[in-house]
Amino acid sequence: MPIRNPFRPQHSTTARRRILPVLATAALTVLALSACSAPTTTPRGPEFFDWADVQVAADGQTVKLWMWGGDDQGNAYVDDVLAPAAAAQGVTLERVPIADTKDALNRVFTELQAGRNTDGAVDLVWINGDNFRTGKQADAWFCEWTDLLPNMTAVSATDPLLTEDFGTPVDGCEAPWHKAQFSFVYNSATVPDPPTTIEGILEWAEANPGRFTYPAAPDFTGSAFLRSVLYSESGGYENVPSTFSDEAFDELSPALFDRLDALAPSLWREGSTYPATSEQLTKLFADGEIDMMMTYGPATLTALVENGTLPDTTRVLTVDDGTLGNASFFGIPSNSGNIAGAMVVANEALSVEQQVAKADPAVWGQFTVLDLDALSADDRALFDALPQSPVVPSFDILSQNANPELSAEWVPALDDAWRTRIAAR
Amino acid sequence: MTVTTTSVDLDTARSNQQQRRMPGDHGRPLTQSRGLARALRILSTALIALWFALPFLPLVLWSFADQWMHPAAFPMETGTDGLTAAIANGGGRAFLHSLALSLVVAAIATPLGAMAARALSRGQVRFGKAITVLLFSPVMLPPFAAVLGLNVLLLRAWVPPVVGVVLVLVAVAIPYTTFSMRAAYAAYDDGFDEAARTLGASSRLTLWRIHLPLIAPALARSAFLAFLVGWSDYLITLVVGGGHLVTLPLIIASSASGVGNESSVAVLSLSAVIPPLILLGLIARSRNLDPGRQR
Amino acid sequence: MTAMLSRPRRRGVRATLLVLPAVIPVAIVVIGGIGTTVVQSLGLMPLVGTPALSVKTFEGTDDLLSSALLSLGIAVVSTAIAAVVGFFTAVLIISGNWGGRIVGALSAAAVTVPHLVGAASVGLLLSDSGVLARIFGIPPESWPALVAGPTWFAVIAEYAWKESAFIALIIVGTLATRITSYDETAAVLGAHRGARLRFVVLPLAAPSLLVASTIAFAYTLGSYEVAWLLGKTYPEPLSVMALRLFNSASLTARPEAAAVAVITLLLTAAVVVLAMLGLRRMRAWQ
Repeated sequence: MPIRNPFRPQHSTTARRRILPVLATAALTVLALSACSAPTTTPRGPEFFDWADVQVAADGQTVKLWMWGGDDQGNAYVDDVLAPAAAAQGVTLERVPIADTKDALNRVFTELQAGRNTDGAVDLVWINGDNFRTGKQADAWFCEWTDLLPNMTAVSATDPLLTEDFGTPVDGCEAPWHKAQFSFVYNSATVPDPPTTIEGILEWAEANPGRFTYPAAPDFTGSAFLRSVLYSESGGYENVPSTFSDEAFDELSPALFDRLDALAPSLWREGSTYPATSEQLTKLFADGEIDMMMTYGPATLTALVENGTLPDTTRVLTVDDGTLGNASFFGIPSNSGNIAGAMVVANEALSVEQQVAKADPAVWGQFTVLDLDALSADDRALFDALPQSPVVPSFDILSQNANPELSAEWVPALDDAWRTRIAAR
Repeated sequence: MTVTTTSVDLDTARSNQQQRRMPGDHGRPLTQSRGLARALRILSTALIALWFALPFLPLVLWSFADQWMHPAAFPMETGTDGLTAAIANGGGRAFLHSLALSLVVAAIATPLGAMAARALSRGQVRFGKAITVLLFSPVMLPPFAAVLGLNVLLLRAWVPPVVGVVLVLVAVAIPYTTFSMRAAYAAYDDGFDEAARTLGASSRLTLWRIHLPLIAPALARSAFLAFLVGWSDYLITLVVGGGHLVTLPLIIASSASGVGNESSVAVLSLSAVIPPLILLGLIARSRNLDPGRQR
Repeated sequence: MTAMLSRPRRRGVRATLLVLPAVIPVAIVVIGGIGTTVVQSLGLMPLVGTPALSVKTFEGTDDLLSSALLSLGIAVVSTAIAAVVGFFTAVLIISGNWGGRIVGALSAAAVTVPHLVGAASVGLLLSDSGVLARIFGIPPESWPALVAGPTWFAVIAEYAWKESAFIALIIVGTLATRITSYDETAAVLGAHRGARLRFVVLPLAAPSLLVASTIAFAYTLGSYEVAWLLGKTYPEPLSVMALRLFNSASLTARPEAAAVAVITLLLTAAVVVLAMLGLRRMRAWQ
């Protein structure tokens, strides 16, 4: 591309005149630079032969873990439990607190857009669902690395929750961290006789105007609520094809939106607005403005009840039609400069000690991804000995009839339709 | 003609001296209001004070609230849980990062703004109007435009993240420092400099002993504005900094995105108000040393 | 050339050297920021796929008009309130009595609060079960929908609060040294309070009032945190829309986000140009 030489001799007699040409040149250079598309060679990351290879490369690396920082328990677990364990293996783990996981993803995208393929600022991300899929589409993940992790042997190779992430094949591009179950939550003081199905919840909401709402899509939780109602309106998850097609969407989504449209006048503020985030929803519940809410992170409820944020009559509702289940993972961007260190951290996080510590409701209460049946008796006993939360039932009960997540293409389609059909009502 | 003096004692003389006001002093009796106007004035002062104070109320109440459930009118349990959580979340380190970043931004943007304002106010710069517009233009650049585009450019040019943050924040601060210094130079009397030069002072000596002391209050004001740009920025530090600079607003934002963190967010937020207020206090002191004023 | 002619030229070089250090970073950031945003909005810098020039993004974005009107509405109302409150605050501060000192300290404290914190705090104050509702013992059902309500009350209140403090700071900074002597002269000549305010203080404060209000207006148009935290789900201001699209799960939404950013930029630029034209007509600026 021809670029004007900013240093060509100037014939003007004053230096002042030079400013504008230089500026113009700078502008042109900027445009020229940015008009070039990102380099097409996608980074693949380093190659490792075995785990010892990884350990050697990891020694002395500093891994920046980008994770949502709104959960004090999660922050404390990473800082006080996981980081020291990583340090013992020669890897320094630094947590970068972010308000939204998309911030990490966008950082990686921007780096790739700029052709920065080997020294990215993000080494490890706590991720799942559409964020993972978007990253995979953009070729942003380092892949085929999880087989190398020694601790992956304790993870079931056939667990559908761990081989596919919202319908996107994991393909060794992310290592599992914990499982979660979409849960409805109610206040047993104000809802003595809670419903037992999702349709029942909607009917309860209509019978108790103003006491229920859900977060506005594209919030993660709000969007999961849309999928739950879609399953319920379609007569069960079996009737909704996991892979997205326009035909399936046109056939199934009208019932969902008609139902939500009919529900809206009975919602908090008559459905004229919705909480922007699941945190705002929880705040409404905490302040007693609504009597029922939902969360994709039931792990945090125990601590919130304990520290008095939520009333101690807070209970998780188990519904007969089952709820969505998912797992969350560690992803390594392909342009990270500390891939080996990130692998060591992901492996350490999968160890029995770390998974047990993390599953303790007093620490974080996150459900393990390990295959409990395949563990040794001693290790299994560690999990069985964990204290039971008074608020959240055990994973076995919570995940009964668990519904699989829809493929990630469904997510933006439903979110966008919700904005035009329901939010713009 | 005879002049009779009544008894003059030292105390009344002192108190008279204290009450003596010089031209340019604030709040002279001539412009003070009386009667109904005075009542109106007190009322409006109270209303404006309330307007500025009210949003601090939740921060103050929440920062000591260990437990405060609806509908209790005031915190049910008070304590230092918020402070503990704020420190556990890395509040201390973030505080230092914020302080360093803001001081660097102020230290760079203030002299740049002052130099530009000096040249522009004398009207010696070719394309002066265009340059004035250019220097003012960062205020109309929405921060998310920096997120969208600028960062690609900085990364492609291999600008280190921390340098990038400083560069962008300096550019954002320059409109404030330039404008503030231009207002100061509009009222500046070149006669002082010229007199010093006429008396044989070198240009360097004139700059250090005459010029800078005279514009010091304006410089301090500009530095304060530039400091605030760095101090309160969230998006640019997050996006351009790429996790290398975890400042107070970043911690506050990530804490505020969670549930039940009101007290630690309140502690962090209140601690974010203190350093700029100290700076402002220092500026107010330096204004009293202003040789241009006679007090 | 004669020495007589070379002197002004040297002075010009000196002036250029004085301006250049400020011009360079600003030029990089402004031209780079605007340039890359425009380029992205035209589809020339896609995340995936090949670049292709297109203006589809400007048509394809729904609700653009209602969002633009909403953004302008919020900015106009909050800046107007901030300008009036900020001006009277400055007058109080300059008066220098004890009330002015208290107001001065409080407004200075407000200037230092990051908008994000301001939004969180105003939310805690005004929401249905917020601090005010709790103190007055009003149940959430009876409390007006100030946060996330149809009037955008909390959003406007937050911007007006923060920006009034900023405007007051700027006015005080530029006037403190000049105003009192004029004010006193007018008082000696028998002008009563209202007249002094109208004919002495206001004209002297006008340029900085206008500049500070313009900055406040531009900031309000461009920032998103406050409207996102305290606003209504639908319709959304331009900045919230741009950020939502930018964070969208689909890779193709980035150019759309850039297009919204470009429209915001044009709106802001139009307002700033109007303000600059207004500034040139003011005598006190000369």
